[in-house]
Amino acid sequence: MVSSTVTGVRRAESVGRVRRVRRQLPTSPWLFAAPGLLITGAFILYPFVSTLVNAFTDRRTLIPGEFVGLANFRELLHDDMFWIGLRNSTLYVLGVVPALVILPLLLALLVQKNIPGITFFRSAFYTPVVASIVVVGLIWVWLLDERGLINSLLETVGIGRVGFLSDQWLLLLSAMAVTVWKGLGYYMIIYLAALANVPRELHEAAAVDGAGAVRRFLTVTVPAVRSTMALVGALSSVAAFKVFSEVYLMAGPSGGPAGEDTTLVMLVQRTGTGLTGRVGYASAISVVVFVVTVALMLLVLRTDRRGES
Amino acid sequence: MSVFRRALAVAAVCAVLLPLSACGSGDDSGGSTDASGKVEGDITFQTWNLRANFKDYFEGVIAEFEKKYPDTHVKWIDQPAEGYADKISADAAGGTLPDVVNVSPDLVAPLAKAGLALDLDKAAAKYKKEYLAGAWASHRIPGMTGTYAFPWYLNTGPLFYNKSLFKEAGLDPDQPPKTYDDLFADALRMAKESDGKVATLANVPTIEDFGRYGVELMNKEGTAFAFNDAKGVKLLTKYKELYDAKALDPQALTATPESSGKKFLTEAVAMNPGSALDLDNFKKQAPNLYKNIGITDQITSTGHVNMYVMGVMVNSKTKHTPASVAFAHFVTDAEHQMSFAKKVAIFPSTAGSLDDPYFTKEDGTDETRVRIAAAKSLKNAVNYTPVLFSEQMKTALRNEVAKALQGKESPKAALDNAVKQCDTLLQQQG
Repeated sequence: MVSSTVTGVRRAESVGRVRRVRRQLPTSPWLFAAPGLLITGAFILYPFVSTLVNAFTDRRTLIPGEFVGLANFRELLHDDMFWIGLRNSTLYVLGVVPALVILPLLLALLVQKNIPGITFFRSAFYTPVVASIVVVGLIWVWLLDERGLINSLLETVGIGRVGFLSDQWLLLLSAMAVTVWKGLGYYMIIYLAALANVPRELHEAAAVDGAGAVRRFLTVTVPAVRSTMALVGALSSVAAFKVFSEVYLMAGPSGGPAGEDTTLVMLVQRTGTGLTGRVGYASAISVVVFVVTVALMLLVLRTDRRGES
Repeated sequence: MSVFRRALAVAAVCAVLLPLSACGSGDDSGGSTDASGKVEGDITFQTWNLRANFKDYFEGVIAEFEKKYPDTHVKWIDQPAEGYADKISADAAGGTLPDVVNVSPDLVAPLAKAGLALDLDKAAAKYKKEYLAGAWASHRIPGMTGTYAFPWYLNTGPLFYNKSLFKEAGLDPDQPPKTYDDLFADALRMAKESDGKVATLANVPTIEDFGRYGVELMNKEGTAFAFNDAKGVKLLTKYKELYDAKALDPQALTATPESSGKKFLTEAVAMNPGSALDLDNFKKQAPNLYKNIGITDQITSTGHVNMYVMGVMVNSKTKHTPASVAFAHFVTDAEHQMSFAKKVAIFPSTAGSLDDPYFTKEDGTDETRVRIAAAKSLKNAVNYTPVLFSEQMKTALRNEVAKALQGKESPKAALDNAVKQCDTLLQQQG
């Protein structure tokens, strides 16, 4: 009798505790997440919503705007500089992404093996990633200058000086080369992690079947790191579409000769900043950049899913 | 839970509506234009990249002011040169603009239009006579009445040239070009003699160059740009000729003042505008160039050289108008401008200061020679850059000039397009 009473009391206590825990459950996780949510809300969500709202106003830096509907987007359609920006940002994706998907994989294969001194090469390839983009940009500007090291070498071997920094297409290509050079190490590390998970037996089986190095790369390595390639493709395409620093540093604030190397993000900066900045119009360009970026990511991930199936 | 959801919904609605609420509203609270009260209170003073080299000077000026007005306290902040306009615009938009701000005329214009700059013709008219008339007028805004900043220091500079490059091209190193025709002829000869390896100029023409060439930059009312006239087209046509002959550096289309300065230092170009400050730089960084440096006057068709004006603006929303006006005047009065000019190669904008022996007496050094020549030319110098000419307009002009130089557009079409774009931007400024 006594024991059943004790058991009953214990059961009642336990039920009460569960109820208390259940009552606390909905709020507790939110409390834990609150700091992160606040930061996300203040620095990501609020600016995002603000940009979205501004895109439909004629707001300027010091003058609050009024609602103008789709006027900013209509103006975009007739703005030559917007189309130049869209062209250059798209070309940047087309030029940079394939290089950043393939070259770091080859580099990772090179430094994957644990042989003496390999750490030095891994570190060396990764160094550009940690270097400041401003420093990197300035160094490349010196190298590619009309009287820089590369042009002096080209002149010595009889090719003559090349206008890397004065021709609109060479300038864009030079900026792409810097982006690829700087990004190689970062994506190489991602590939190294993926390659570590490729079972060695697969390579051994393929080798027994007579597959050479190239065949093994195409039939074993590539399928095994396909998801990583998609990830690298998504990350690098988003970064490439939003390129700013490399082009700004090499082509100058005006965006190269006649502004022909301007990218969309450069256009946002040029249009929306300063005391006379057109915040509304710059926000409309930002919205376009956002939409294209999301579309690019979805495209890459969808392609990967289709490939897997 | 439902309360929590409701709270989330309210937060989401706020996130959408808060930015909207900014539309059409403005903070109208703030100071008065009456500067006649007691000089007291805590004020903030912002300078433009001056702390690194002049910390002691400014701390001394502030200490002197606080001693003169014991009920005041001045907090000094200095902003780097890079992104200064962005910093001011962020402060202005956020309502945190300092009480006294170091500005240039093109920065004052949008601030005055937004009602953030105090009209000194009303608040500080008694000080007007202390300054050169031209300098006082440099902070007036077309379409508005009033003056919106105290003039501070002025700067101008000569044209430096490389005597040894002139000699190698068969030009007389002691006879530098004096007119635009001379300049263009010498530049073409330099390019021809060096087989296109040495250019004479490193920069495309800017709005100041059009002004110096005698082009009318704006209409008289200041409501539209006019630099696409026959004279403007002539200047651009000449530059196109120079560009084709490589007398204008091939990288001029993307050059900045810093990059063209570097080209001159490395003797890749033969001429470059500068100031007395540059001589020290040549001495340290390019001793060979310094040995061969030639100094000549800016070339103009108007007889007036270009000058750069710095100003000190008072925030119209300041809570301490008398103290802010008093401090802005204190920093820019004749005594302090003169002592600042003796620390660095700048020129005071106060009446009579340029007649000081420091700006008139030779002592045989290059520095003094440049200083005296500059001070003399400043007496009738002009700030050619229209105060309404924004960064976006500079880019528009630069890009159209580049198209003309590349042959993508005729000089006339390029300038017409530039004027059209600048007029649109002017209208959008409101």
